Parts: sequence; structure tokens; C-alpha cells
Amino acid sequence: MNTFFLFVLLTLAVLIGAYLYRVLQGPTIFDRVLGLNGISTKAIILLILIGSVHERVDMFIDISTGYALLNLVGALAVAKYLEQKGLP
Amino acid sequence: MIFSFEIPLLILLLLTAAGAILVKDLMSAILLLGCYSFFLSLVWAWLGAVDVAFVEAVVGAGLATVLFLLTLFGTAPKDSRLRRPPPPMAALIGLPLLGILLLYAAKDLPQFGDPNSPANSHISPTYLEQSFHDTHTPNVVTSVLMDYRSLDTMVETVVIFTAGIACVLLLRRKAS
Amino acid sequence: MDVLAVIFILAGLFFLVVAAIGVIRLPDVFTRSHAVSITDSLGAFLMLIGIAIHEGFSLNVLKILAVLALLYLQNPVIAHATVRAALRAGLKPWQREST
Repeated sequence: MNTFFLFVLLTLAVLIGAYLYRVLQGPTIFDRVLGLNGISTKAIILLILIGSVHERVDMFIDISTGYALLNLVGALAVAKYLEQKGLP
Repeated sequence: MIFSFEIPLLILLLLTAAGAILVKDLMSAILLLGCYSFFLSLVWAWLGAVDVAFVEAVVGAGLATVLFLLTLFGTAPKDSRLRRPPPPMAALIGLPLLGILLLYAAKDLPQFGDPNSPANSHISPTYLEQSFHDTHTPNVVTSVLMDYRSLDTMVETVVIFTAGIACVLLLRRKAS
Repeated sequence: MDVLAVIFILAGLFFLVVAAIGVIRLPDVFTRSHAVSITDSLGAFLMLIGIAIHEGFSLNVLKILAVLALLYLQNPVIAHATVRAALRAGLKPWQREST
């Protein structure tokens, strides 16, 4: 089971690389925001998986909850900014 | 089982840092810095430092992004593209040399999680054994931060609170 | 029990891979937002359910379900806000040139 989890962890890291390509490359700023949102979703899953590997899920879930809440605030702030200012 | 999952995370971290330096406008640099904090927090979590990961996620990815955005709101630059002079020759040669020196020195550090390393054998066992008896707090990190170093933590809080008041005073909108 | 967890996690992984391919291959913001919000949410759902089955029934499962509910709330909201900002900024949705 542990080996399987490590395989899943590595695959998720590769997927994060794909999203990172979009964040680095993205022609407009909105692509970057969407890529960042995808990365944060992956990061939440990765945190819970890491907790499962370390067998301390209870601690890691609290971090991921904080992550999710703050990601919502940050992304909404970016969207609000872009809506008021238009394209930079 | 030792499995170095931190290596792909560190590669992602390097890519993000390079992108944050090379990217052309300020908004993208802010987003990439948020990304960087995500990866750094994942590295901390993988190494088992849960509280550091929590602080990195909350402050680095959440608060710092929003504060940078508020700064962009407040300053409202007409042209947010960066014009950066090329780096001086001394930095281009000196910093890689410094990095090589640091890597060379890091070879002599004790192994990760080694119970006989100085950090684990000198003063930590005392805290681990006596903190519950002294403070009746189940979490050792909390007992050190909030009990043994409580004055230090209190003054830190005062500093952060003052900085927060200053930020609110600077960023408030005029009532029109 | 573990077999069920593995099946759920692999299904989630499949959808996450599809979402990543979509994020790289699709042509503009409006199409990419589908990959990021819809497919990603389904993948995360399956994956977290798999982990919850693996953990067995305890308080942790409730916490995982709370994270899941949060993800389900925030992914569409963020995608919607971003796409609306893109539309207000004047980006035109992608169309096939030949029509």
C-alpha cells in the first residue's frame, strides 16, 4: 500500500509540472490564475496523501483545510483586482 | 523506507523561482511567488515539520499574495512591466561559487533524522522529557513557544500587531 | 477494503491526468477553465473518497469530507470569477477559424 501511495505521489508531482507549465507559459494572466488554482487543488490532495504515508492524517488535514480557505481568498482577490483594473 | 520525494518537489521549486525572476509583469510574479510557497510548504510537510508547513501555507501562499495585491491596488502603476538592469559580472561569478561552497559544507551535516546528531542529543531530550511535567501541554512545540519563550512570543505579537496597524493606516481609503 | 480504495484512487488519478492534458492542450482561457474546475473536482472527489476508505471510519473521515465540500465550493467559484474577469477584460472566446 505504501509503494502504491508513493507512485501516486510521484504521478501527482508530474501533473503539477504540467500545471506549472501553464502558469509559466500562460499567454494571459487568467491562464496563470487558473493554473494556480489547479496547483492548489493538487497540493491539497498531496498533503492528505503525505499524511496518509506518514500515518498522521489528523495533523495534515488541518493544514489542507487552511490551504483551501486561503486559496479561495487569494484567488477571489486576484479575480476582483483583474475585474476592476482590466488586463495589465 | 527512505524515499526522496523531496527531489521532484525541489525541482518544481527551482523552476518556479526561476520563473518568478524571469517573468515580465508584476501580477505574474506575485502568482508565481504564491506557487513557490505551495511547493515549499509541501517540502516541509514531507519532511515532517507540520507547523512550519502550516505557517508557510497561511502566510506565504495566502496572506503575502493578498498583501502584494493590495499594494498593487494602492500604488496603481500605469505600466506594471519590470525593467531590470542586467546583473553585474561579480554576482554572476560569485554566487555560483558561494553555492558550491555551501553544498560542499552541507556534505558534513548529520543525516536527516539521525538520533546521535548534536541537535538531537544535546538539549532536545531535556525538553522532550520535562516539558509535559513543567507545563502540562501535550504538544512540545507549543509548550516551547508559548511557555518557555512566552515573553519572546508576546513581544513578537506586539511587533506584528503594530505592523498591522501601520498597514491599515496606510491602506485605508478616504471616505468620500 | 484496500482494493476498493485503490480502485477509487486510480480512477481519481485518471481524471486528474485528463485534466492536466486538457490544461496543456486546450486553446484558450474559457476552454481551459472547464478542465481546471470540472474535471479536477471529479478527480479530487474520487481520490479523497479513496483515501477516506483507506483510513477507515473515524473523525478523520469527517475532516476529509469537510475538505471535499470546501473544494467543491471553491473550484467552481474561482473558475467562474476568473472567467468573468476575462470576459470583462475583453478576451474573445476561441472559435474554429473555418466557420
